[in-house]
Amino acid sequence: MTTRSSTRSTKRTPTRWFRWRFHLTGILILIPVVLTPFYIELMSVFGGANGLGERTIGAQQVGPWRITLAEQFEKAPSLDGPAGYMKTFNAALCQACAKEVKAVYIRLGKPRSLRTAGVIGFGSPYHMSFSMPVPENTSPTADIWLTAEGWDGAIHQAQWSLAEASPATIEFLMQQQEP
Amino acid sequence: MNSNTQAKAPKNRTQWWFLLHSWLAMPIWLFLFFVCLTGTIATVSQEIVWLFDASVRANPPADAGRMLTFDEVIEVVEQDAPGAYVTQIKRPVKSQFALTAQISYPDSTSENVFINPYTGEIQGRAANGFDFRQFVRGVHGWLLIPFNTGFTRYSLGWYLVSLLGIPMLLSLITGLIVYKKFWRGFLHPRLRVNRGARVFWGDFHRLSGIWSIPFIFIISVTAIWFMIQGILFEVGVPFNGASQAPVFVARDEVPVSDQGRPPMLSPDQAIAEVNQRYDNVEAQDVRLPMNAFGHYRIYGRSQAFPLVRESFLVNPYSGSIDEAMRVSDQPALMFTRLSMRALHTGDFVGLSLKLVYFFFGVLLTMMVFSGMRIWMTRTFRATHAAIRPHSARSGETL
Repeated sequence: MTTRSSTRSTKRTPTRWFRWRFHLTGILILIPVVLTPFYIELMSVFGGANGLGERTIGAQQVGPWRITLAEQFEKAPSLDGPAGYMKTFNAALCQACAKEVKAVYIRLGKPRSLRTAGVIGFGSPYHMSFSMPVPENTSPTADIWLTAEGWDGAIHQAQWSLAEASPATIEFLMQQQEP
Repeated sequence: MNSNTQAKAPKNRTQWWFLLHSWLAMPIWLFLFFVCLTGTIATVSQEIVWLFDASVRANPPADAGRMLTFDEVIEVVEQDAPGAYVTQIKRPVKSQFALTAQISYPDSTSENVFINPYTGEIQGRAANGFDFRQFVRGVHGWLLIPFNTGFTRYSLGWYLVSLLGIPMLLSLITGLIVYKKFWRGFLHPRLRVNRGARVFWGDFHRLSGIWSIPFIFIISVTAIWFMIQGILFEVGVPFNGASQAPVFVARDEVPVSDQGRPPMLSPDQAIAEVNQRYDNVEAQDVRLPMNAFGHYRIYGRSQAFPLVRESFLVNPYSGSIDEAMRVSDQPALMFTRLSMRALHTGDFVGLSLKLVYFFFGVLLTMMVFSGMRIWMTRTFRATHAAIRPHSARSGETL
């Protein structure tokens, strides 16, 4: 508007810049636009629309029960404030055994007793979620121990090597432990 | 031109207030406009889904009797998909929406299922991932930037958006200082449509501004609270009170059973336990126990203070209520958090209030736009005059 009344046409360019820069925060609108596909992907993993998780590790026979384990995301553990690094796994009970299993726990390393069986799974028996602490000094050769407790009190265990369960976590540990 | 500019040089304090008012929003107007617009849509996002998707509607039959109970919802699901596990049931009270059950299937997928509250017919299904309501909320509230990225625990977008509460509140205050005797505008509303764009937008900005005083105040103060809430969370202040660890059923209270899962209370029985001990609880949302040591979590909106949602944890084996969070039981921070959220979204009375929020949301969005229009035609010159009153180079960059 000012240029219109200005007699100096040579000042046009800075004026246009002067006015346009106040629209620049519109660039922030690009953030949700760019992130939308990632958001949709993330929500479908969270919501279980894709199944158990981003990467299914495999199924094992745990005593009389068959349990499938998956990584929620194929990613390194994430820092959860004072709780330290956490890694999310999901597990599913077979339909026939869903009613027989009282609880499933996982942890790094062999538990000494049921009290130290690790974090308990939350959620439907077909989609239990575990937020497992991963200390930074964990050995890359460690195993994930899964403990299943039946309603009758029976305890059965199975294990996966961490390398098999989460290559991204191994990579993370290597980086953390570099001298 | 020079004399013209000189004439507009601010001669008193009010004109400086005017400049401050103008400069608060202008540099960020387009972003602010976007946030206001998406917020306005978010207010009625559930209703938008209702308009486009018949399966989420209640669709009451002509002889609509009583609504399905929570137990009946579980029966409907069991018949439809034997072995499927219901994790949550939402049962809207006196509402135009269908019942929603969140279901986990043996193949580890999950879905939201919409059930006719009167006939029990399954009207539709939605994969439990993308949800228009959540999407609009995510765009509005944190620009879809992920949470817990390691840098901050809340999303960075959360702060980008909630920070806008500060210029918005200051805009309201300075606007009322600049608009002398603004209360006259209530008695003599003026919206001149035939005097050109500048007059129209100016009138519009002032008129909608004074009518939106309470709304802008609520939105900006709650937005600033959201920022504070995020910061409190970052530094680890517990919202549920410092002493409150998560409540679980003690191991010795969980029965041992040779025949698999032992008998548990049904959702309706759990609700009955709550209603027996507490008055005026209308269960609207029931979460089933998350594992063998979990409780039924029952939510109902407070009748006395609808801004706050009350919750009860019912032991699924004994029926004892192991935690009751009525309005008065909420720790102060949690009470503030729940109230602020309800005030910001307007989702605590029903459709009528949502439409009021939508209307004022549209006004606020238009105010950002009209403010920018006014700025372009007026403030630019006024600022120029204020800062360089003796300069003739009115086209120069400031």
